[in-house]
Amino acid sequence: MVENRPWLSLLTHLVLIVGVVVVVFPVYLAFIASTHGSGDFMRGLVPLLPGPHMLENYGRMLTQGISTAGAPPVSIMLMNSTIIAIVIAVGKIAISLLSAYAIVFFKFPFRLLAFWTIFITLMLPVEVRIIPTFAVVANLGLLNSYVGLTLPLIASATATFLFRQFFLTVPDELMEAARVDGAGPMKFFRDILLPLSRTNIAALFVILFIYGWVQYLWPLLVTTDSRYYTVVMGIKRLAATADSEPLWNLVMASVILAMLPPVLVVIFMQRLFVKGLVDTEK
Amino acid sequence: MATIDLIDLKKNYGNVPAVKGVNLKVADGELIVLVGPSGCGKSTLLRMVAGLETVTSGRIEIGGKDVVRAEPAERDIAMVFQNYALYPHMSVRGNLEYGLKNRGTPRGEIDRRVQDAADILEIGPLLDRKPRQLSGGQRQRVAMGRAIVREPAAFLFDEPLSNLDAKLRVQMRVEIRRLQRRLKTTSLYVTHDQLEAMTLADRLVVMNGGLVEQIGTPTEVYDRPATLFVAGFIGSPPMNLIPAASLSAGENAGTLRLGAETDIVGLRPDQLYIARPEGDVLTLAGTVELLEPVGGESHLHVQINGTEQPIILTVQGRPKLAEGDTITVYARPEDIHPFNQQTGRRTDAN
Repeated sequence: MVENRPWLSLLTHLVLIVGVVVVVFPVYLAFIASTHGSGDFMRGLVPLLPGPHMLENYGRMLTQGISTAGAPPVSIMLMNSTIIAIVIAVGKIAISLLSAYAIVFFKFPFRLLAFWTIFITLMLPVEVRIIPTFAVVANLGLLNSYVGLTLPLIASATATFLFRQFFLTVPDELMEAARVDGAGPMKFFRDILLPLSRTNIAALFVILFIYGWVQYLWPLLVTTDSRYYTVVMGIKRLAATADSEPLWNLVMASVILAMLPPVLVVIFMQRLFVKGLVDTEK
Repeated sequence: MATIDLIDLKKNYGNVPAVKGVNLKVADGELIVLVGPSGCGKSTLLRMVAGLETVTSGRIEIGGKDVVRAEPAERDIAMVFQNYALYPHMSVRGNLEYGLKNRGTPRGEIDRRVQDAADILEIGPLLDRKPRQLSGGQRQRVAMGRAIVREPAAFLFDEPLSNLDAKLRVQMRVEIRRLQRRLKTTSLYVTHDQLEAMTLADRLVVMNGGLVEQIGTPTEVYDRPATLFVAGFIGSPPMNLIPAASLSAGENAGTLRLGAETDIVGLRPDQLYIARPEGDVLTLAGTVELLEPVGGESHLHVQINGTEQPIILTVQGRPKLAEGDTITVYARPEDIHPFNQQTGRRTDAN
């Protein structure tokens, strides 16, 4: 659409700029705060220009953490978060792909029931079933372990529905051609269906990685050992100090560090991600 | 190289019969076309031979071996699908190679066969492209190539030309014919297009309602349709079917001799004349209802006195006739196809 109305374009740009500022300003503030010394916030005014303590703050958080707040070094928490987010994303995608494949391409008794049972798990995210799930995980002795952190979050086939819809668009003849070409069910899945789902998988990976990364409540419940802390819950601990002023410069440094991995995932997978949401390769 | 034998083959979907007992012997190297209106069971029949559809009862033998329980891959057949069903993420070469790789064919052999198929179909320059970069006709060739490289006992074609435009369809039809003659591979070909069926087939199998109406060479089927259905289905424009009563009256009484059970007669549009031919003739009086010029010839729709349906005759050139003109149409007695309405069969059979 080509229009030549200067006031309209001024207005639309203004709205966009305001929107961007609203989103970016807090991030900017966090970055600025993370570059100052610990005393610079005592005046109650937050400085708006970078300070000289950036490397020192980040270095300290990555290697030592704040022992008084009971938080391990951010590097450990980042590692934990990364492991958990990747395991959740990969696990969910694997389960969803296989169950969608079974539901769409095979005829077996109670197929519809199976589909609806999976579908119902969409209504039961971890937060809803958190007490019984915690009881089960605790009884299985999985507290303070990666399995306990990830398994309950994997066990809902959120993406099954999405893959089902995609598989339904794959023409039957493709499977028949593969059968005539001597490909068994798993070979067809691996050689034909998986490559065709590539962009969908990438898009889902981005979404699920961030979903796993921002988990707060569940890690808080199942971890007491600081070796298993994730960065999102760790930040809360850093900020909640009992009898002293929070060390805002260090807290903000952790915040910035915690923001980086999801941003990197989005940036590196953006091309596939957008493709996966916009079109299916036909 | 193989024969295909279908012995009392049946298929039911639940309680609905789709194929009601088909017997067919396909000779080695023969191209058989299954033709019929949609829903007549021809595709189901083909898919049963391919192994993509289970068999309710009966036997399928390919090269003398009963294959009813065999997987499609074990039947040594190759299939060309209507929508080509090329693997979209693989290059043309990948598409051709896939079946051979799955069978553990040695690398050198694969390369040789792919090269051969590419030469035959002239798709050599396309080998590294993806299917979506190809035109409809090129995709069709690749789909055929995928069948050829396998060097199977039989080709199965499921309406392979119906997604192409008219011009390309004629061209590919000729190529399929030439290819099949050259490779001498036993083939089953399904189509609903009777022209395609006539031009391609060594023998035609005309199907209707899950049953075989007639099996024969295209000329046999055209010249002596065994049933009313075949008479109306093969030929374009279709054969005119006229109640025998309206024909045998008046001056035809002497020349027309029909069996007692004949109550309907068929006449091909190109065997009706507006000028009196030599020898004995039958005459039909009527009025011109419509004149359709279709290029070199014209289709004349004539309402014959005492009948309901107008008949169609093809006339060379453009006759000087107008709608509403009264006209006499001539036919030769030997061109008449006599049928019985009740049984739907020809009455001068044997």
